[in-house]
Amino acid sequence: MLHGASAMLGASVLADSAVEHYRGSFDNPGMYTPLVVSAVTMAAGIDGASGQWLPRRMRDGMYALSGAVGAIGVGFHTYNVLRRPGGLNWLNAFYAAPIGAPAALSLAGAIGLAADEIAETSHPDRLKLFGIPVGRALSAFTALGLMGTVSEAGLMHFRGSFQNPFMWLPVSLPPIAAALTAKAAIEPAGERDGRPMTRSWLWLTSAMGIAGVGFHAFGVSRAMGGWRNWSQNVVDGPPLPAPPSFSALAIAALAALRLRDLEDA
Amino acid sequence: MSDFEASTPLARDGRAPNVFREGGWTPMRQYSETEEVDFAIVGTGAGGGTLAARLAEKGFSVVAFDAGPFFRPLEDFASDEESQSKLYWLDERIVDGADPLVMGGNNSGKCVGGSTVHFAMVSLRFRPEHFKARTLLGYGADWPVDWREMWGYYDQVERALSISGPLSYPWGPARPAYPYRPHPMNACAQAMAVGCEHMGMKWAPMPLATVSAPRGESPPCVQRGFCRFGCSTNAKQSALVVWIPRALKAGAEVRDLAMVGRVELGSGGQVTGLHYHREGAWRFQKAKNVVVAGYAIETPRLLLNSACPDAPDGLANSSGLVGKYLMTQPNQGVFGRTKEESRWYKGPPILCVSEHWNYCDDKNFPGGYTLMSQGPMPQEWVNIQVGARKLWGSDLRHAMLDYNHMVGMKVVGEGLPSVHNSVTLADEVDQYGLRIPRITYSWTEGDKALIAHSMDQMQGCLEGANATDIFRQEQDTNHLNGTARMGDDPRTSVVNPDGRTWDHPNLWVCDGSTFPTTGGVNPSLTIQAMALRTADRIEALAARGEL
Ligand SMILES: Cc1cc2nc3c(=O)[nH]c(=O)nc-3n(C[C@H](O)[C@H](O)[C@H](O)COP(=O)(O)OP(=O)(O)OC[C@H]3O[C@@H](n4cnc5c(N)ncnc54)[C@H](O)[C@@H]3O)c2cc1C
Ligand code: SF4
Repeated sequence: MLHGASAMLGASVLADSAVEHYRGSFDNPGMYTPLVVSAVTMAAGIDGASGQWLPRRMRDGMYALSGAVGAIGVGFHTYNVLRRPGGLNWLNAFYAAPIGAPAALSLAGAIGLAADEIAETSHPDRLKLFGIPVGRALSAFTALGLMGTVSEAGLMHFRGSFQNPFMWLPVSLPPIAAALTAKAAIEPAGERDGRPMTRSWLWLTSAMGIAGVGFHAFGVSRAMGGWRNWSQNVVDGPPLPAPPSFSALAIAALAALRLRDLEDA
Repeated sequence: MSDFEASTPLARDGRAPNVFREGGWTPMRQYSETEEVDFAIVGTGAGGGTLAARLAEKGFSVVAFDAGPFFRPLEDFASDEESQSKLYWLDERIVDGADPLVMGGNNSGKCVGGSTVHFAMVSLRFRPEHFKARTLLGYGADWPVDWREMWGYYDQVERALSISGPLSYPWGPARPAYPYRPHPMNACAQAMAVGCEHMGMKWAPMPLATVSAPRGESPPCVQRGFCRFGCSTNAKQSALVVWIPRALKAGAEVRDLAMVGRVELGSGGQVTGLHYHREGAWRFQKAKNVVVAGYAIETPRLLLNSACPDAPDGLANSSGLVGKYLMTQPNQGVFGRTKEESRWYKGPPILCVSEHWNYCDDKNFPGGYTLMSQGPMPQEWVNIQVGARKLWGSDLRHAMLDYNHMVGMKVVGEGLPSVHNSVTLADEVDQYGLRIPRITYSWTEGDKALIAHSMDQMQGCLEGANATDIFRQEQDTNHLNGTARMGDDPRTSVVNPDGRTWDHPNLWVCDGSTFPTTGGVNPSLTIQAMALRTADRIEALAARGEL
């Protein structure tokens, strides 16, 4: 499940950065990097989730690369914002490179690495990440990831003036899922009710991520020329591949909850 | 007259063009000419279009006339600078004075929606003190309205047009965030921002009347920059796209290709209706009230052309001020070349603003001005090269090769009111047999000082942005105001604060002509705010039986 989430996040980054960097005419050759790396992450995720043909070391290398490139990407995007007139202001936050976007790659890498760790051990309930039980660590991590994605969707939907009421969804559903997941990360052991509430919100968030593609497709239809002019409007309109990153993170959080249950047992 | 103008009207037989659909129609209520409608409005631009919508929404019967055609932007507008001249008022006019105005595309439109159909969408508020320039700043004239009331109407217009602008505006009293987010700034706007910082001035993304996200049937702006030649996507929130559909929906009738030639004065100082030319014949519409909204040349021309034995100097002209105090706005530009490609034609033409010199009073000239970035289309650019730089032949060719490396700024300044600048009637007549206007204009000394100051500032900005080969376009004007000024005193003004003429209680003016001063900003937002105010005042007066 965690490998699958990595693959899904990788796919989302691949499609999104391909469209956005194409839009930026690959002005800087470095702009090809996330395409290659997210494809690699996606491959690692698919391999991990299915046959595991690749040796673990190789797969982990791929995940680690993803983690590192995501971090470097954040650096590049920050530089892109700061060198514009006005520096860190709303205008540049709206239209310069999105600072948070590359972090999704790091998330995908980290989730993948954790997945391999867990698969290796026969006692995942005793496994620790940074000295913290892995279930708790991953819950915290995915909650943070969800909130990061909420901020990006919030920023972009603010740029779009929340002109359609459904644009409020990704800033209202996932924060609740994230808060509940964060609660799972920190609450004392012994909660054994299976956290149905948290799970429902996560499934809802995950479904919303898929529905988001449909909403964004509708958004594309409202641009000049609609889908008849897809070659421009898919690039300039609301990004079709962006919403599923909510689904990927929600699924990772669901997997983390399963580990939490083991830890509690 | 172009072939297009010769064609037949579209708004008839109970329907009008639907601007959002190719070949589409929208139902339209119609009134007979013998029915005395509550309001006959001359002109459907920023003033007339807005007023028509609001009066109809308030339940008045309204017929709005426009001399120009009713376009459907999606099918009628081409991305072609030349063919889009069909939007301009190009009828014959005589210009004179020391600085004769260039009339046409840069300052007048002739179609349903008026000049807003090809305007540059800059949507700025007056500085509060500019409404009382005489009392507070010592030049020009005072407006007979309070700035707080006007700022309330600005709020309303900004919401009605979903203005896309910055979240916080660096100058003046606090105002609400603009309804839609700002558009991205192109390379030219960014160069201006760098230059402003170099000069110690604040800058902001320009508040624009084109949507940055979908709105109703308007798609978001596609950033292709043909705005001043008619927006073919309907992203631009012109009167044609915003107010006219509202007016039709509320039961107003629009008569396109209908040139009003004379307003009829009856007994007792009241007007009774208007004479208009449509489909080859002169007709008469009866009306309880007539509103003239033809903009600062055609409004005084119509009032003067309506002279009759009871008003030998023209309607509403007992003060002798109809046609006087014509104002334009300095619109000089400065350009330079940058090393990196700028592709300055991308996006709406004006994307960055600095109102520094509207709000700073430490200066050696009366009035204020706004600085803005600009990115002319290729043909406009050739005209600037040939006109301002006198380039020709291979020099011109070389200059044009630099088109993608240019950056530029321009000023919109507060041209001062002078009684010597005027619109009068010439003896020649136009295609309708109506006497044409003579437009007399000379800069005042104050104007000249403002222009010189602004050009130095723009040059400083471009130098600060590391532009080279800087040159100045010394002569250019835009926007027209004045000629039926509003005031508190019938002896020194043509209309009262409600736009009602002092001389004829049922004759009104609602357009740029009523401005006592131009302020240092583009006028359309103020014209629309004033139209909203006039509509509210008319409603209040009607309720009190004072109409
Ligand atoms: C190229 C250009 C760019 C501009 N850019 C900006 C900008 O960025 N921001 C801004 O605030 N302003 C801008 N303006 C100015 C703005 O468009 C005008 O100030 C505003 O539209 C004037 O409103 P109005 O109602 O007075 O007249 P108009 O909008 O011009 O409307 C007058 C209408 O009356 C009709 N008419 C006139 N006489 C008669 C008659 N006798 N019978 C029937 N119909 C008649 C005309 O056909 C016209 O349609 C620009 C103008 C131009 C030309
Ligand atoms: S740049 Fe935007 S407002 Fe201008 S013509 Fe194109 S779509 Fe219309």
